[in-house]
Amino acid sequence: MNKFLGNKIAITLFIAPALLLFTVLVFWPIVQVFYRSMFEWDGLTEGTFIFLDNYKRMFEDSLFYTSLYNGLIFAVILAVLQISIGTVLALTVSDGLIKGRKILRISYFIPVVLSITVVCQLWLAMYNGEYGLINKIFEALGLSYRQDWLTDSKTAIFAIALVNAWQYMGYHFALLLAAARSIPEQYMEAAKIDGAERWKAHWKVTIPLMAETYKFCLVLAITGGLNAFANMYIMTGGGPGTSTYTLTYMMYRSAFRVGEFGYGSASAAFLVIECLIVTFAINRLIARDRIVY
Amino acid sequence: MWMKIRRKQPFFQIFLWLYALVSVYPLIWMLFYSFKDNNEIFVTNPFGFPKKLRFENYVSAMTEFNVPKYFLNSVFVSVVTVIGTIAIALLFAYAVARMRFRGKTLAQMYIVIGMFVPVQVIMIPLAILVRDFNLTNTYWSLILPYIAFNVSFSTMVFYGFFRSVPFDLEEAACIDGANIYQTFYRIMLPLVTPAIATMVIFVFLAAWNEFPIALMLISDEDLKTLPLGLLFFQGQFTTDWGAMGAAMTIASLPTVLVYILFSEQVEKAMTVGSAVKG
Repeated sequence: MNKFLGNKIAITLFIAPALLLFTVLVFWPIVQVFYRSMFEWDGLTEGTFIFLDNYKRMFEDSLFYTSLYNGLIFAVILAVLQISIGTVLALTVSDGLIKGRKILRISYFIPVVLSITVVCQLWLAMYNGEYGLINKIFEALGLSYRQDWLTDSKTAIFAIALVNAWQYMGYHFALLLAAARSIPEQYMEAAKIDGAERWKAHWKVTIPLMAETYKFCLVLAITGGLNAFANMYIMTGGGPGTSTYTLTYMMYRSAFRVGEFGYGSASAAFLVIECLIVTFAINRLIARDRIVY
Repeated sequence: MWMKIRRKQPFFQIFLWLYALVSVYPLIWMLFYSFKDNNEIFVTNPFGFPKKLRFENYVSAMTEFNVPKYFLNSVFVSVVTVIGTIAIALLFAYAVARMRFRGKTLAQMYIVIGMFVPVQVIMIPLAILVRDFNLTNTYWSLILPYIAFNVSFSTMVFYGFFRSVPFDLEEAACIDGANIYQTFYRIMLPLVTPAIATMVIFVFLAAWNEFPIALMLISDEDLKTLPLGLLFFQGQFTTDWGAMGAAMTIASLPTVLVYILFSEQVEKAMTVGSAVKG
């Protein structure tokens, strides 16, 4: 048996493809991000080692702070909207008194499977100052409120974050619904017998029991927000001005538009660390002990 | 009791349907305007069902622009990515979950790193790597990274499944004289088909919709996938919303159809992560 399951040739054949591909295309690049962040480098030549100068420059760069701030705004909007609305949708659907549950679930989830390009261009059309759906709705309601949502540097980041929140709402809904379904019925029954009202019961019983899923949703929403890139690339190109830059966008621009690969790597490295800290912190703060029913 | 709850919940019922409308109406609006001309979209009938189904919008999306080519590129890249990822991840997961060798926990932990790193951050080294391997503007510059990115997560899911299979199976196979390859292929694979189905859907959706890597590694018009190709409709089509809507509808059809046909499996595939990452 040991010879059978310890067949060295077979083991090598089985694990080599994954290890090789992963090492070359994921692990090595991660190492490179950190290494190259200490270079002044145009991506073509060898580059000059400047140790932490890229980071020093970054911490004095106002664009870095704009990007950082936008990432946080994005993350907070995603976390708040997706988790609060997702919870209400999931718990109400799981209460089981709703007709047309299938249609509701499909309606919530369809945007998740769409390409981000389609979603962003659709919302560009919806936000369009003259002909967009949103302004048309205001018009139809008789409100003379008309706005070019994406060209105001104060509202643009919110408008973009809303698109992302809309697209992945169904994802959080599905996660939370699955979690609510897996809670044994007697917990809800116990809450009802105690005379607690339904949402009070949810607040006290169901939601705490779903802590593991909330943790996952929170990590997903926050790291998703910090990493936001495609939405701004397609919808605003980082503008108006630089008002919708994020760290990923800054990395993209530094490397592929300005040719400062070292400086771009520094913002990428910062982003990796930022995401790891957030993931770690959330895992520490919420539900330290796994819940056993 | 039930009636009492029902009466207490009208607010939430209304909210559910209202949000369903918010979630799906933009897509219906898109579908509608893909059959309209500008006059109808902008002035005469912005919200409702098209007065006349203008299929010529679809014809112009298909003929004047590269939609069929982008579509085929997306199909090719996604299918090869799915096959490659599933094959490589199954082999790796099987070895780590069932076979006996030193350092298997380490190998598993190493691959799992991939789940905690956002794809975009390694864009710069990846672009350099693809250039140094002379892969710029080839299908492989997309397919290989896609496989590498999806392999961590797929491995985790398969690992869980392989661990849940009783270990006597291999012993029986061994006694019956099967070799390890036959055991893997004939006995173990059929047992994990549900997991394979789940991961096929997951990887397909991820590959079909992937945008940032394609943006940075592909500039050749002939190799663009749909998410990348459609990007440039914005400029060209600003005067022709109908054709743009048609192109976007065509691009969305495969994933929406897959979802509507297999909605339960798709939701399961997309949410399987919470069990693994949590």
